[in-house]
This record gives sequence, structure tokens and C-alpha cells, in this order.
Amino acid sequence: MIDIAVTGIGVISPLGIGRETFWESCRKAKTGIKKITSFDTTSLQSNIAGWIDDFDPRRFMPPGCYRRMSLVSRMAVASSIEALADSRLIPDSLNRERIAIIMGTAYGSSFHVEDFYVSLLEEGPRGAHPFLFPETVPNAPASHIAMYHGITGPNSTFCQNEISAENAIMYARNLLSQNLVDIALVGGADELSAMQYTCYDAVGALNKVRAEEGETIRPEPGSGLILGEGAGILVMERFDFARQRDARIYGVLKSGTIRGGVTDIGHYEIEGEQMARAVFLAIEDAGMNPGEIDQIDISANFTGELDRMEYNQLRQIFRGRSNNLEVTPLKYLMGDFGGAGIIRAAAILLSIYNKLPLPTVNAEVLRSEAGNFPVWNIPPAGKTSTALMTSSTFGGGTSSLIFTKQ
Amino acid sequence: MNKDTSRRVAVTGLGIITSIGDSVPAFREGIFNGKCGIEPISLFDTTGFSCHSAGQIKTRGLEGFFNPREIKRNSRCDLLGLIATDEALSDSGFDIAKYTKEKIGVVLGGGAGGMLSWEKYRRALCLKKARPKPSLLLPTAPCTLTDLVASRYKLTGLRATICTACSSSATSIGYGFDLIRSGDQDIVVTGGSESLSELTFSGFHSLRLMDPEYCRPFDRHRRGLSLGEGAAILILEDYERAEDRNATIYAEVLGYATNSDAVHITSPDAEGMSRVMVQALRNANVNLNQVDYINAHGTATRISDQMETRAIKKVFNGECAGDLPISSTKSMVGHCLGAAGAIEGVATVLALHEQVVPPTIHLEVHDPDCDLDYVPNQSRKQEVNIAMSNSFAFGGNNTSVIFARNKVKTREFKSIQ
Repeated sequence: MIDIAVTGIGVISPLGIGRETFWESCRKAKTGIKKITSFDTTSLQSNIAGWIDDFDPRRFMPPGCYRRMSLVSRMAVASSIEALADSRLIPDSLNRERIAIIMGTAYGSSFHVEDFYVSLLEEGPRGAHPFLFPETVPNAPASHIAMYHGITGPNSTFCQNEISAENAIMYARNLLSQNLVDIALVGGADELSAMQYTCYDAVGALNKVRAEEGETIRPEPGSGLILGEGAGILVMERFDFARQRDARIYGVLKSGTIRGGVTDIGHYEIEGEQMARAVFLAIEDAGMNPGEIDQIDISANFTGELDRMEYNQLRQIFRGRSNNLEVTPLKYLMGDFGGAGIIRAAAILLSIYNKLPLPTVNAEVLRSEAGNFPVWNIPPAGKTSTALMTSSTFGGGTSSLIFTKQ
Repeated sequence: MNKDTSRRVAVTGLGIITSIGDSVPAFREGIFNGKCGIEPISLFDTTGFSCHSAGQIKTRGLEGFFNPREIKRNSRCDLLGLIATDEALSDSGFDIAKYTKEKIGVVLGGGAGGMLSWEKYRRALCLKKARPKPSLLLPTAPCTLTDLVASRYKLTGLRATICTACSSSATSIGYGFDLIRSGDQDIVVTGGSESLSELTFSGFHSLRLMDPEYCRPFDRHRRGLSLGEGAAILILEDYERAEDRNATIYAEVLGYATNSDAVHITSPDAEGMSRVMVQALRNANVNLNQVDYINAHGTATRISDQMETRAIKKVFNGECAGDLPISSTKSMVGHCLGAAGAIEGVATVLALHEQVVPPTIHLEVHDPDCDLDYVPNQSRKQEVNIAMSNSFAFGGNNTSVIFARNKVKTREFKSIQ
């Protein structure tokens, strides 16, 4: 399997708008989780999320371009603008058919779904606004990116809950490996909407924390999911193509695996057998052994079921360091969403490129024991050559990716 | 992923449920006899709309397939998908126990998913009736069917759900093809499912894209599409393995392509359509003059049919555009959105397997802008060796899939009436 180089990064996240602000927050383990004020949460059991309160699309594009876009499309296009500029690629000079856009999102614009349907309920068929409907399809963000940049290559969107972006990465890798494209803009994007939040609240999945504005939030481990939002784009190229054009390379996607465990809808794989299998296969495909992994970025999200499963499996896989297993659960800082995998990958790649490790917590915190709150450790400059990124989603899907320095 | 581009990909199992048939034999009889499944909707109230019909599945209640608990816990979309999957896996005849389950993937295309369940919940909240059951929200995610299929059959291979609106399940066939050809997976369950929902119905209605009666693809008096619902599953398998176990090989997948118009969020573009057809033929290593049949996207909107005709003429100009049979399955089952590509994939595979081209029904009046051979109203017995299935979606997401006839035909259906 060929190596895939990452040559551009764009990030709109609760940890910061833009790659540099995001990286700064990552290094400081600054949290993006705060009280929601963007919609009314009075009647809900929870009122916190990793949400974005300082995104202004005008910083990226003229109002005429984004007027009819949903928030998730705006964030996706904005991150693509940053990523493409960062990669120093100019689509005009390339064969636009040889650039793919592959996105991952859990729901697309759930705000538009709610808005459109409620207008139908309240006002009848005549009240249903035609401009809202096209934005309800999950592929709208990928389509807007294509239209904004005039990119006409393969264009697909994956919706696989919390491993949507990881699916996008793997499909892009498939296209690049077959030489069907030279470059892929690979992304993840989700918006936090009242519709989505109230649904998760209704099924009892959320971390039942109610906070005041400005209050420092310390979610209790294992007490439930904290949702997030954001968008990220990675510019991925075949390694030889990137070298040929003398591109700056943040890091390399060395291997990747997606597998699925057997579980009920709404639950994570309980034992984590397939999660462990995916990790094993990814490490093996990269031609490595677990001892060579410098950083472990995990998908823990304060859900007891997931966090404990990751803990149990990682303890087995990294037996040699089980007394002092340090992991990076970035979702503890930014919340969880379908496109989060791209932002986690961006953090890993910035860490590898800057030779500065990501902050970690001791893996014991994943056991979700009451009162055992995460304590972030910010390591000094150290080994950052290789990173494992493991992701699991409710419904049973699981993914493992290995990133290395070039 | 082990790169091994020499692997061929066979279609060894089919499953389908649509408004014209709730099994492959019934669907086959329906498409070859030009049956129309577009009738008045009973699934939800259409008062106030200018259109009251769709390709709703009414042939049998879902009670015939599932126990009450399954019906309660799953969305209509997922139940339809499970019906098609059960048929396809049973049809493929392979013993799952004998296979390495992590080499069996599930890649499905999604549309609105469990939207109908969410609508029930949201409507109850809005009307302030009794507090709706939160369990209605569980099957809302577009990927629920993919997870259900994998868990039901304990398949632990790659799992993915593609959501590119009307081309979702066509692309799922393409990705399944890639995964087998590369050696990553030996078998992939591909396809998709879609149920009617108020959201999609009112959405297309708001865009004035629906025919008040029934859709008439390529007809001069066409007024828009009819929505439909259904599910279709194609089991893709490493060709050599399929041959070794003497499986029925309905057809071979030769290649596919996806691309983007990059022009408009809802309006189709002939340039993007023609490019994706050329790219798919190139990917499949097929020449223009080898194509015997095109299963068109054929929605029956004024612009889409015109653009598709223009694109086909551009691609096949001087070769065989005028002689090439083209038909729209949507004329019979309606536009099944996320499931459309897979339903039309099954129709295309059956055309190759049976050597019969299904018709475009309701095609009565010639349109000068649509001047190709759309196989009007009657199916046609003819040699079909290579066929293309087109799917063009909102957002300018285009997909074309190329299938080939397998010369050794092992499954025999009863003759068409």
C-alpha cells in the first residue's frame, strides 16, 4: 500500500478557528466545552457541548457565496479554503478532475432538517421553503466545496456516526492508491443543532451536566456523551506526487483499517474485540509493532461503554506500558461528532510536524470510576514520529489509522 | 489493503423490495411487463399538496416479514433494507459460517434513513400530544441499516454508509467493487434502502419537481418525478471464489466512476454527466461501441431528462447513441432516492442475466429534446452484453456503474407473462 502525504490542514473547531489557534489550544489542553447559548436548553437535562461561538464565514468568503449555505456547509467550505491555501495548491493549475472531495458527517445539516419540517408542520405545504430543502442532504457540504473551488473529481460523503470522517479518509486512500486521483480534500463536518441535541437528550445519551455561562466544566467520567461540532479538511496526496511538487508534508498516513463489531443500535461494541483487531491490523499493515507507537489518540468521549472498552483493549495491546499508559482523548476537550476524526487527525499531524507531543491523560481515567477526573499532562518536546488514532462508534463500527513523520 | 487489481467482481446475490414487487422474481416480472407501482399515498396525509401519489410499497404489510418488536424498534427504511438483505444473502447461497467474517464488508447507500420515525416524534412534540417515545429517535442516523445488517449476520469486515442523495447506493456498488478488486474484502453487501417521508415529499414538492399524477420520463408532457420507496441489495463477490463454489453469477461489475458537476446544488449539468460516463467506461476498460444498454437516471423532470439525453449523445455521438436502448426504471417504481442506484443496479443486472431490456413506461409523446431510443412501454428481448447504470444526485454527485453479462446462466426464473 502506498504512503499518503498530508500537505494541507484547515480547522474550524471549538478549540479554535484556523489551524494555528487550534494547535495552540491543543498544546495547552484548553477546553472548548461550555454552556450552550446558541439555542434554548432550559427544558433539557444537559446544557453543555463543544460548540463554536466565534466562527464568522466572512473571514473566509464573501457573503454571496455562503448566503444559502447551512452552518455545516459554511464551516466545511471555510476549512477547505484554509487547507487548500496551506497546501499551496492552486486548483486552476491542476486538472480539476484529478482532485477528489470526500467528506464524513454524521447528519449533515440537522438544523435545516428541523427548520424545514417544522415550517411544514406549522404552515403546511406552502410554508415549506424550497431553499432549505437542498441543504438537508448530507452531501451538501462536499458539493459546496466542489462548487466553491470548481473541483470536478470524485465527490462522496460518508455518514457512519462517529467514524464518518475515518471512512472518508479510507475511501480517499482507496482512490489515491488506484491512481484515480492525485489529490483528495478529505474532511469531516458537523453542526450542533437544537434538533440533534434534544434527540440525544431524549434518549438519555448525554452527560447530565448543567452549567452556568463561564463556569469551568469538569464532566464526570463515564456519565455520558458530550456533543461537539466543527469542520476540518486535510489535503491528501500520493507521497510521490507531493514530493514531485516539493510540497511541505505534515506527515504520512501509513495504514488504516475499518472493521465492525456486533452490537445493538445505540451501543458501542461492548468487548471491543473488533476495535482491538483493527488496531492490530493497522499496526501490522504499517510494518510496525505496538512498541513503536509514540502517541495514542483515542476516541473516548465520556461515555462509560466506549471509554471502558478502549481502556480494556489498549491495556492488552500496550501491555508493556500498562502501568503508565498515556493517551490523548481529544474529544474530552472538544466534544464528539461524526467529522471529529479529521480534527483529531489534524492534531496528530500538527504534533508530528511540530515535534511536540499532544497532551495526554493517564489511561486509568478511562475506567470511568466516580471522582476520577481527567488530569491533563502536557509533555515537553519528545518522540512524536508515529501515532495511532483509534475510533469507535455506536452501532459497532471501528477504525484505526497510523500516521508517521515523512 | 493488498493491491491486486486482477481480481474480478461477480454479482452473486440479489434482493429487492419495491412498489412493483417484494422479491427479485416479482420485481423482474414487474419491470419486464412494464408494471406501474405509482399509486395514491397512504403512509401520510398529503392534503394541501398538489401531488398525492408515489411508489409506496403496499403489496404486503411488514408484519409478513418481522415480529412486532422488530417493527417497533426499527425504522421503515431499515426494515425494507433488511428484507432485501435477507433475500440477497439467501440468494447468493454462500455459507457465511465458512467465510472469514472480517473479509465480508457492508457498504450501503443511505438517503433520509429513519426520517419517518423522527417525523413521528417531532410531529407529536409539535402538536403537544402525549410525550413521544424516545425510541423513535434511535434509528434516525443514515447508517443504522449498515450496522443492523452487519450485526444481524455477524459480519465484521469494512463498514461504510455513503450518503450522496440519489447516487448513494450506486456509489456503494462502486466502493464494494474497489474493495474486492483490491483484495481488502472477499464479499461486500452493497445497495441501499429508502422509505417515503414527509420531509422528502414536501421537499421535492416545494421545488416544484413532482408530477401531480405519475412520472413520464423522456415524454414531451412530463411534469416531474414521482417519489418511491424500496430497497435493493447486491452481493458482490470475488469472481474466482464465486466460480469455485458454483455460485449463480448474475453479472460482473466491470467498473464505475463518481464525479461532481461543481455547478449547482439542485440543477443537473450535462457536462458532468457525460464526464462520469466516460470515466466509468475508462475504469471498466470498455469501448463505447460495446455498450448495449443504459439504465438511465431518467427522473422525468424537464431539465434532468434533457441533460441526460444531451450527455449520452455527447458520449456516444457517432457511435451508437441513436441505436442504444435506454430506459428509466423510475417510470415504474418512482424515484427511490438513496435506494435508486441499487434498484436500478438490480434492474440492469436482470437485463443482462435475462437478455431483456426493461421499458420506460408512460412514454407516449415524442419530445424533440429527448430523441433517443427509450424503449417505450414494452420490454425488448435482445442481446445485452455490457450495460451502464446512471445515477445523478443533488449536489452534482454523479455515478455511473458498468456491468457485464456472465455467459453461464445458472438461475432460471419462470418465463415472463
